[in-house]
Amino acid sequence: MRSHLLRRLPSAALVLLLASFLVFAVLRLVPGDPATTLAGPDASEATVAAIRDRLGLDEPLPVQYAAWIGALVTGDLGPSYVIGGEVADLIGDGLGATVELTLGALLFALLLGGVLGILGATARRGWTRAAVRAVTAGALAVPPFVTGVLLVLLFSVTLGVLPPGGRVPLLTAPDLGVQYLLLPALCLALPSAAVLGRYLQEGLRQALAEDYVLTATAAGIAPRRLLWRHALPNALPPVVTLVGIQTGHLLGGAVLVEAIFAWPGLGQLAEQALNRRDYPVVQDLLLLLVAVFVVVQLLTDLAYAWLDPRIRWE
Amino acid sequence: MTTYTPEKRAARPRPPYLALLATWRGRIGLALVGLVAAAGLLAPLLTGHDPTAQSGQGLLGPGAPGHPLGTDELGRDLLSRLLYGIRTDLGLIGLAVPLGAVLGCLAALAAAAHPAADTVVQRVFDLVLAFPGLILALLVIAVAGPGWLPVVLVIALAEIPVFGRQLRAGILVQRGREYVTAARVGGTSRTRLLVRHILPNAAEPLIVQFAVSLTVAVFLEGAMSFLGVGVRPPEPTLGNVLAQAMPYLAQSPHVAAGPLVVITALVAGLSLLADALNREIRR
Repeated sequence: MRSHLLRRLPSAALVLLLASFLVFAVLRLVPGDPATTLAGPDASEATVAAIRDRLGLDEPLPVQYAAWIGALVTGDLGPSYVIGGEVADLIGDGLGATVELTLGALLFALLLGGVLGILGATARRGWTRAAVRAVTAGALAVPPFVTGVLLVLLFSVTLGVLPPGGRVPLLTAPDLGVQYLLLPALCLALPSAAVLGRYLQEGLRQALAEDYVLTATAAGIAPRRLLWRHALPNALPPVVTLVGIQTGHLLGGAVLVEAIFAWPGLGQLAEQALNRRDYPVVQDLLLLLVAVFVVVQLLTDLAYAWLDPRIRWE
Repeated sequence: MTTYTPEKRAARPRPPYLALLATWRGRIGLALVGLVAAAGLLAPLLTGHDPTAQSGQGLLGPGAPGHPLGTDELGRDLLSRLLYGIRTDLGLIGLAVPLGAVLGCLAALAAAAHPAADTVVQRVFDLVLAFPGLILALLVIAVAGPGWLPVVLVIALAEIPVFGRQLRAGILVQRGREYVTAARVGGTSRTRLLVRHILPNAAEPLIVQFAVSLTVAVFLEGAMSFLGVGVRPPEPTLGNVLAQAMPYLAQSPHVAAGPLVVITALVAGLSLLADALNREIRR
């Protein structure tokens, strides 16, 4: 296990390093820079040059890159150029909103996935199983922006019970915050719920087909107890691993769901900062996202290796 | 002594794309995709309105004279926006997914040819995959500017590592097979071995991936429209017609209805096709 990790670490570090080059270089390729955005469309060349000088944008690129990495290493991210405020505060606020959305979605995914998995594995009636299959396939195939629009149409427009977008932080006003959180979290959760449901269903089917289940049934143990106390614990380990992987997916999918429901998270911040050429915010934010993804991929690889010891990397 | 009797040879398995028609999944999937594609291709015959022309009448409900699906807030005919939107999507997806698939496969072949190339290709794939797809889209569009071609590039770029990794894994599996050893012992050149013997066997699962990738492409186009980095209105796509309907959902849900139905049908059809192909190949 540890040798796996040690072998994968250098390539993960390399990806991070390459990503930092890429983000830095790509930003400099984008037409316009923070100085032109700050100065406005009618500013004179001298004004733009003065702002460039103040922000250090006239330094050679390697110096700018070194200054950025230096700031990252010391942990002092400094002020944002265009949006205003400290970079750390902006990213912190966005992160709070995104994590809230992701955790809400994770909760939904676990609940729905659990219901789908258990129903699918234990339902006797053909139509119940067919319904579970259809819901799973639908949740997996239909894009989040379609389910998002449908959810808004149903709960906000037709029933008028939930707001169509925006956010009230859950910690400041729990009762109101939940109302804003429900729709985006559900929209984000559906594909993950379907994946979890499928795996749980498959695991339960296999567990219920084992000999010990037959023995337990013959010994007169109630089916309900058999399911919850015997089959489920045996079916859970692979699903638990999958939950970790799906959390990574949820973080990535949050970018789109935030745009649909005007949720002020990291995705919205990335879009805003990129549009306004706010170099420090974009650089730090994208590198953070890449780091999260690299860690999730590393954990996924390790989880697979742990589940299936036959997996080897050359 | 053994005699060779050609008649007793096992029947050559049907190619998966033909066997598709024998399953209900394949038939329904093909019918749904075919219906949507036909609607897009025949758009100029099915509607007389220019999808970007504004009638000046403002919002009209469905069933208005001359506008079966009604018009949007700028008085544009919704049926023609929907049909021409399908057309734009078909063009985007039909160009981007094959492009990504071909580039990904070329990268995998290069990786298979030399260990050094393999390392480089693997790290590049890691790098592309390290960016969440939509963040990658935001970056590419920031550099290239909005438009039709950048959307194609984003979708292709996202598909390259997907196809590349899958083909690489397939090649690794096939290399261990006995027929490869036999061919090598028989003096087949490395290139010929890779292209004529290994590639056809390793590429079969890619057919399923192709169907899955078409679904992902529909998803990416729509997602980019919602993020405001897709094809620029007034040119219609399935994604941006739906995204533009969002602010008016409460007053006029009918604007969203067309794209909702078409995207769902298209995605469901493609998923059924991918599922049917997968079952066929695994048999």
